[in-house]
Amino acid sequence: MLDAQARVYNGLAESRAVRHAVEDVAGGLATTHLWALLGWHDIRQRYRRSVLGPFWLTISSAIMVGTMGILYAKLFNQDIARYMPYLAIGLIVWQFIATVINESCTVFTKSDKMIKQIRLPLMTHVCRMLWRNVLIFAHNAVIIVVVTLFFLNVSLAGALLSVVGLVGLILNCIWVGLLIGVLCTRFRDVPPIVASLVQIAFFLTPILWYPELLGNRIALVKANPFFHAIEAIRGPIIGTASYMDSLLFLYALFLVGAPLTLLFFARYRPRVPYWL
Amino acid sequence: MAYIRAQDLVIEFPIYQLAHLSFKQAVLHAATGGKIARDAGNRVVVRALDHVSFDIQEGDRVGLVGHNGAGKTSLLRTLSGIYEPMEGRLEVRGRVATLLDFHFGIDPEATGYENILLRGIMLGLRPRDIKARMPEIAEFTELGDYLDMPVRTYSTGMQLRLAFATSTAVAPEILLMDEWLSVGDATFSEKASLRLHDLVKRTSIMVMASHSPKLIEAVCNRIFRMEHGRIVEQESITPRAVAAAATQELASLARNEPIG
Repeated sequence: MLDAQARVYNGLAESRAVRHAVEDVAGGLATTHLWALLGWHDIRQRYRRSVLGPFWLTISSAIMVGTMGILYAKLFNQDIARYMPYLAIGLIVWQFIATVINESCTVFTKSDKMIKQIRLPLMTHVCRMLWRNVLIFAHNAVIIVVVTLFFLNVSLAGALLSVVGLVGLILNCIWVGLLIGVLCTRFRDVPPIVASLVQIAFFLTPILWYPELLGNRIALVKANPFFHAIEAIRGPIIGTASYMDSLLFLYALFLVGAPLTLLFFARYRPRVPYWL
Repeated sequence: MAYIRAQDLVIEFPIYQLAHLSFKQAVLHAATGGKIARDAGNRVVVRALDHVSFDIQEGDRVGLVGHNGAGKTSLLRTLSGIYEPMEGRLEVRGRVATLLDFHFGIDPEATGYENILLRGIMLGLRPRDIKARMPEIAEFTELGDYLDMPVRTYSTGMQLRLAFATSTAVAPEILLMDEWLSVGDATFSEKASLRLHDLVKRTSIMVMASHSPKLIEAVCNRIFRMEHGRIVEQESITPRAVAAAATQELASLARNEPIG
């Protein structure tokens, strides 16, 4: 917060200039020491006085993936060696997406005291939430590694491409988090709407089932951004035919979504503290 | 050179009535062709600052006085950059530290040391700066080995010490305070007052809201009297407590006067 130059405010219209939104986003990303520490602190706080700490996340996800994998492989009559890694990656990536979207709803309203107390880029709060979920994902990723190494032969190129997909997903989470965060601060009815949409999306997205099971309705899957987000990470590892499309979709989505969100953010950013 | 210049600042809070805070309402209005943003009939606006102008120079110690709701805290938040003014021009030069509520951000499950670090970074300090200052802060709290214990095991007085010591570890050019920070217990409060006075001496500009006229007269050289979001009177005075000897008086003042 070193201000070598004077901070100048010139009414609401001027505060809405896009350059202030850019400064907020860049400034927020730059406060690494703040969001990294706070995000990590959030996790520690959740697991304080527990012996295993955040590894409970790994354990509970492992139990879920294990039981669901065995059950659904049987129900769908699938080869477990193919189904288990498919489910493990899909489910764990989905958990990340769903939690990020749901927590985006409260990213500003839960930090209201902090926002009204100190001047920080709003982006800092989004980064804190994202970092917390990236750390949780990292704990769960252990399962992905174990399951895939056990059932599959993964090439190095596949693993690297999968990481490229993950980066694409996180990039998209940045603008989605900012957009939903601002929207939910103004309209307090949006969080429950978002929560139920996320729940429906889980069943509509090929996580428990293979996309080819839809037959000639495959277009439903191709139009689902959640499918591409998961496929961009899952596809390169398990070796599907169309993961490249999903990777491209994910980065194209970022190139469209991020600038539009920036314009939206520029307009409503100065109003957020007033709405809290 | 630090300075604050404000011209015709306006801060307004939209009060969305319950029905109005909802998305349903906005969609319905849009569907029926009404303009959501300019729904003047339904929208109540509270004007917290009403065309406020002033000029604060290096060395000024400004006291904000006025009834509850006169706009003191809103003005402090505007100066710190939390609320960006809706109208008017504001220019602030210098590093700002805002001490509005110094109990804020204490995590009862974290240890004393962790809380010092957390609060420190929230106040804008770098982790390495806090670590460098840790021994000094720790010593000031007089909490000793308790700093390794979770804060929930502290008494209220001990928590205050911790919060106070960390809050006053900042080194800003412009200090914005809501009330003169005070810490209950008698022996510590004198020491605390001395530390706060020292912090104020090191800053170029201080703006403090207070309900205690005596305290303001002791510390400030300018008084802004606020009413209904306006500065109705600006006056210059000679602060009585320029000498460090007066800190004892400050301590007792801060203790005896109601806060809030």
